[in-house]
Amino acid sequence: MKTVRDVLVRLLGRQRRAGHRRHRTSRLASLAPQPSTRWLVALALLAPAALAGAVVGTPSPAKAADPVIFTVGLTGDVDSFNPFLGFEANSYEMWALTYDYMVGYSMNDMSPKPDLATKWETSDDGKTWTFDIRSGVKWSDGVPLTANDIAYTYNRVITERVAGNNWSSYLSNVDSVTAPDDTHLVLQLSKPNATLPLLPIPIVPEHIWKNVDEKALKTYAAEPTGGQPVVGSGPFRLVEGTAGGSTYKFEANKDYWGGAPHVDQVVYQVYKTTDPMVQALIKGEIDFAEGITPLQVEALQDEPGISAHNGISPLFEEIGFNTGAIDTDTGQPIGDGNPALLDPKFRHALGYAVDTAQIVKTAYQGAAEPATTIVPTAYSKWHYEPTDEEKLTFDLDKAGAELDAAGYKLGSDGKRTMPDGSPIGKLRLFARSEEKPSVDTMDLFKEWLGQLGIDSEVTAMDSSTLGDKILEGTYDAFQWDWYVEPDPDGILADFTCDSRGGLSDSWYCDAGYDAMYAQQKQETDEATRVDTVMKMQQQLYDDSPYIVTAYTGIGEAVRNDRFACFQPQPDPGGVWLIQYGARNYTLLRPAKDAGDCDGVTTALGVAKEPGKSSESSSTLTYVVGGALLAVLLIGGGIVLIRRRSTAADRE
Amino acid sequence: MSNVIASAPTQPVARPRSYARYVGTKVLGALGSLMFVLVVNFFLFRVLPGDPARTLGRGRLKSAEDIAEFQREYGLNEPLPRQFITYLHNTLTGNLGDSLRYRVPVSELILDRLWPTLLLVGTSTVLAMVIGVWLGVHSAWKRGGKFDKGSTGSTLVLYSMPEWWLGLLLIAVLAVGIGPFRGIFPTGGLHSTGVDPSSVEGVLDTAKHLTLPVLTLTLAYLAEYSLVMRSSLLDELGEDYITTARAKGLRDVVVRRRHAVRNALLPTTTVSAINIGFVVGGAITIETVFSIPGLGLLSQEALSIPDYWVLQGTFLVASAGVIVANLLVNLFYGLLDPRVRT
Repeated sequence: MKTVRDVLVRLLGRQRRAGHRRHRTSRLASLAPQPSTRWLVALALLAPAALAGAVVGTPSPAKAADPVIFTVGLTGDVDSFNPFLGFEANSYEMWALTYDYMVGYSMNDMSPKPDLATKWETSDDGKTWTFDIRSGVKWSDGVPLTANDIAYTYNRVITERVAGNNWSSYLSNVDSVTAPDDTHLVLQLSKPNATLPLLPIPIVPEHIWKNVDEKALKTYAAEPTGGQPVVGSGPFRLVEGTAGGSTYKFEANKDYWGGAPHVDQVVYQVYKTTDPMVQALIKGEIDFAEGITPLQVEALQDEPGISAHNGISPLFEEIGFNTGAIDTDTGQPIGDGNPALLDPKFRHALGYAVDTAQIVKTAYQGAAEPATTIVPTAYSKWHYEPTDEEKLTFDLDKAGAELDAAGYKLGSDGKRTMPDGSPIGKLRLFARSEEKPSVDTMDLFKEWLGQLGIDSEVTAMDSSTLGDKILEGTYDAFQWDWYVEPDPDGILADFTCDSRGGLSDSWYCDAGYDAMYAQQKQETDEATRVDTVMKMQQQLYDDSPYIVTAYTGIGEAVRNDRFACFQPQPDPGGVWLIQYGARNYTLLRPAKDAGDCDGVTTALGVAKEPGKSSESSSTLTYVVGGALLAVLLIGGGIVLIRRRSTAADRE
Repeated sequence: MSNVIASAPTQPVARPRSYARYVGTKVLGALGSLMFVLVVNFFLFRVLPGDPARTLGRGRLKSAEDIAEFQREYGLNEPLPRQFITYLHNTLTGNLGDSLRYRVPVSELILDRLWPTLLLVGTSTVLAMVIGVWLGVHSAWKRGGKFDKGSTGSTLVLYSMPEWWLGLLLIAVLAVGIGPFRGIFPTGGLHSTGVDPSSVEGVLDTAKHLTLPVLTLTLAYLAEYSLVMRSSLLDELGEDYITTARAKGLRDVVVRRRHAVRNALLPTTTVSAINIGFVVGGAITIETVFSIPGLGLLSQEALSIPDYWVLQGTFLVASAGVIVANLLVNLFYGLLDPRVRT
């Protein structure tokens, strides 16, 4: 099936001509004469001179009274500005700029933080939540924002399917949402919900959205129409751009209740690949580049006027196992997973055969941390770190000993067998072809398995094919990643029996685990809940449906000669801009006005040495320019050699 | 003259009729191809791996009911034959469906993305054609001369370079700047924000943004035209009529323009016409490198979901482009050369 896609990709557009071209060149090549090398050399020498000529005539733009524009390079577009429709990460960023949450995320550890709600209290049984809502907040069209708007938004989320897609999980068990007055909101629950009070649902204005019924909502764009910006209450509002477009322009809301932003505009520029984006940052066309590779981070760290890092982000990479795929309707096993992997002892032993440090070094070029459990260290409150005794430290001897003890002994041919003496066979390790680290990880894993006496083979496939294999149960192990939300409930749910056939990709199912899951979901005492969540991670680590290999980060770079005051999230070490919530958009400001960044001492401040302006030379451009010259010269050289050979042939 | 034709017996009367028949056959043939594309379009994308409900719903459509609901909403749960009939009916009535990803009508999306692609690929094709033909003519005229060696060598080098690599080099040199020279062109995008694209300033701004991508594509395509032109002109130069023309004492320029080039243009016409048909297919690599929201990128992104309706729409437009271009070439040939009508 992969080939079908390849063929289609090749058929598309210009690439489609490849076939014609090959056909034509073969005929033409024989007709082509041998050009003089002198010409090429002259061309190579002339090129820079011609460039110089072209550069002389350009005016340098220097306007003093221009608005302050902060330009961000993104590597993906926005699929919808309607917060009930989109699903891309970038769309969430746009909604956070446009709308407010009732309860948002803190900068330190993404725990719940007051936003439109100033404080809240819950009844003893945990079934009634009362929020005090900030007064004096206005929509960008001047209409006051009250608790009624929040109740309206939440009620749509609860009652309508389309509106609920993105957000209903935050309001699970909520029976009713009411606004007794303009500054109070009451949630009535059927049973306690431990993920409250976290409610990062964008609040939309009732007076606008009431005209969009459930059917119309499916295609409602929520974009500027007729020159009128979108009505929101957030720090910025969209004035230009449509979903799928290449630029989105936001204007500051100078009356924002959380303080006026220090820039006049935020402009997003969508790039389809990171190289040109990095070039644009070096040139100064953009001020921030998000989603760059570790190698680019390294290269940019040497650039004057630019700060680059791999920000901590709640991502983890794993090797997952087929622990027993079943038909969720009948309960009968499906697929052809290797029986050895049904045994937690077998999987646990393999944990000792994975050198996470080596994976980080080889597959992620060092831009990650060796990992342990499914809640990343970014969530320090929820992360469980195994004790030294529990920890699956790389040790092939220990892995071998555990396998021996569990009955998977070495046969006479040097291969391990099942406890009944039958051969284990070849484990199929599936990697995602579009992610090189995924393939690298599986290649390493295959090597370690080989040293244990277990045969395996690595197959790379596109992720949608892999997704199909997982649902069919026709795999043994795969490599994938997860983005973990600030509340661990979501990732923990993926290992419950009910998630099989859905988001569970390991088919893990354990009654004890499910009981703990249900318990933590309703636990109103946070300390008790933390305790349960830790135990659940401990059990998963021990049973090893996953071997978590790395906590990866997100590469970011910023022109710190132009802008300052980016507080990392989580603080310290976290990402600078594309965070949970829009706090940094009101904090960031031109570098010359940085001051103490409103007392946020951990923010990325002013560069000690102000960077040279954008026309300054850079190593990267020298390298690329040199490459251009080299290509021309080598091309000339090849031509020369060819010419000589024909001359010799002729004689 | 008209009298002569009118009074002449059958032949002159038969001629226009046979051309009409020729046109009729060709138009019918084109319509047939279009219908074929229409059918293939549907089934081609249905065999793609992946399920939009899951790609789009990862982390969102949690339960099996959610997925079923999604499929019902987009008619994906119906049996294929019925989906096919709905598709035929909709397409024939001008409804290309809604994008799964962007939730807007596909026709809107395509219109949105069409003009950047036309500007980018169209301009480069025309430029490459004009410059390439000129280069080819002059190379052939002084075959083996310095100009010939230089132009053929450099167009071949540019032709063999991957387009995206050439694009990146041009970005590094002409957009970012190299050494003491400052880049003068934007690194990507179609236009700056805050500029009305329909104003004079906006047009200039777009032109500035498109300079590098157009330059890249033009350079990459040059060889296609210059080499074809060069070889067909070389063929003509050996013909007797050229010698005759020279013997008549005509100036070089006249021999070249009136006699040789005119006859050597046919193969180039074919190549150009076919390539013009491909214009609406877009240029994925260049659109990617320069972040230009064109049709090539649209279809490529739609493939990853797969967004059936967008794929069907863009493929229909791309195929229609080629079919129409081919039809026009055929009709044109029929006029130029009566022999092909048989």
